[in-house]
Amino acid sequence: MLCQHCQQKEAIMQLFITENGQTREVYLCETCAKKTQEVSFVFHPAIVPEFLQALFGFNATTKEQPMEMKCPKCGISFSRITQVGKLGCSTCYETFENQLEPLLRRVHGGGQNVGKIPVRRGAEIRSRVEQRKLKETLKNLIEQEAFEEAAIVRDQIRKIEQSTGGEKSES
Amino acid sequence: MSRKELLLQQSAWMSETDSPVVISSRVRLARNLEEFPFPHGLSQENAAEVEKIISQALGYVKGNDENLHYISLAELNNVEKQVLIEKHLISPSLGGTTSACGVALNSDHRYAVMVNEEDHLRLQVLLPGNQLIESHRLATALDDLLEAKLDFAYRESQGYLTACPTNVGTGLRASVMVHLPGLVITKQVQQVLGAAARLGLAVRGLYGEGSQAFGHIYQISNQITLGKSEEDILTHLDAVTRQIVEHELQARENLRQQMPMLLEDKVWRARGTLQNARLLSSEDAMHLLSHDKLGSDMGILPKTKDCFTTLIVDTRPGCLQYILDRGLDPSQRDEERARLIRSAMCEDRGTIQ
Repeated sequence: MLCQHCQQKEAIMQLFITENGQTREVYLCETCAKKTQEVSFVFHPAIVPEFLQALFGFNATTKEQPMEMKCPKCGISFSRITQVGKLGCSTCYETFENQLEPLLRRVHGGGQNVGKIPVRRGAEIRSRVEQRKLKETLKNLIEQEAFEEAAIVRDQIRKIEQSTGGEKSES
Repeated sequence: MSRKELLLQQSAWMSETDSPVVISSRVRLARNLEEFPFPHGLSQENAAEVEKIISQALGYVKGNDENLHYISLAELNNVEKQVLIEKHLISPSLGGTTSACGVALNSDHRYAVMVNEEDHLRLQVLLPGNQLIESHRLATALDDLLEAKLDFAYRESQGYLTACPTNVGTGLRASVMVHLPGLVITKQVQQVLGAAARLGLAVRGLYGEGSQAFGHIYQISNQITLGKSEEDILTHLDAVTRQIVEHELQARENLRQQMPMLLEDKVWRARGTLQNARLLSSEDAMHLLSHDKLGSDMGILPKTKDCFTTLIVDTRPGCLQYILDRGLDPSQRDEERARLIRSAMCEDRGTIQ
């Protein structure tokens, strides 16, 4: 029997196709059967290194941040990072912050970390987040000339600063 | 427990569940020590130091009220590494690394902590069925215990810092392994999984190269790790998974109603071959076991002694050789695979509905 699709090769497969609740039998050759198989969408979850390299390489470097700029902690250059598709150490995130920003936006869609804060070492970060929120509130209250409420918020900020020795609210 | 006993334990994720579609749920957290460069940039000396620091910290923690056993990969032969890969306890890339790396396991392998893979630490929790939330709860608790001892690289704006920027932020990769024979047979799998891919999830066939998905097993995972909370990531994946399960069950029901004979023939043929074949390649075995599972899950075939997942994993080349305790060439493997499956299939229990 010839393949019902190409009408050229010998059919080797019998497929059952259901469309709109109707099932029909189709006899296909190997080539045509393969073409009808699923999974053309499947791709690998971890972005392959080459793809990542392309993303890195896509970032324009500036005079202040040339490709040969190096991380002071691990010594890796940005050109090397683009080759291996990986950063050298945690300090690289700070060193190459400007080059990384467009890449992170492309991969993750932009946005800052809103995930877990470490339990033990995150205490300081948690209070800083709190301070930042309060300072924002204070600024808004002053703009609205709501000075009484502003004074309360200011005292709250001072209290946190005293307990943590954190940032000065005047800054 | 000897190393052999530990490796031969049935992994928690391989046990049978009530879930007919979701085989397992996995959560993986990537963490790095602040003080050291990421693994690919470590000197041999520093890599050994990192391994020492982390394995000591792992010695203090107890997962599931029991100790984690640290195994240095340098101590393992190739078959043992292959077993760990086939049971999804280490990545293939860690299996290819020779020095200063390893994995910590508990006795039922629900916890598997890789050391010096792409990141210093990869904490994995792998459970059977749809248990994403529980997997994450266990992984986070283990993370907290380790964080009490270790200084993890973390920035307020970017979260947990990882070697590859695709993992930065939460460092969380959550995934489910799903069995979708109904969608494959009714040719809807592309459409349904394509929708998941468009919703920002990564989809791939779990076994087989490129576009082939042997055993009709697919893995769905999150891609974005920064700018979303852990809860959002898990909720999104869970919601999409539930949709996929619904479509798969609907496809099975359509098969049952519209072509019951074709369905019965397919699953009984699979059972017959599995019970009688004298040679089975890995691909053949997966394909037939997948149809057999479909038949069992739909109540057409009686249940067998060993469940689908156990047989899929135990008949992989590494596990097969490790169980039989001898080296096998490919043709011997096909013979032993068929023998192992025959013995599992012949002990049918239960009744045909």
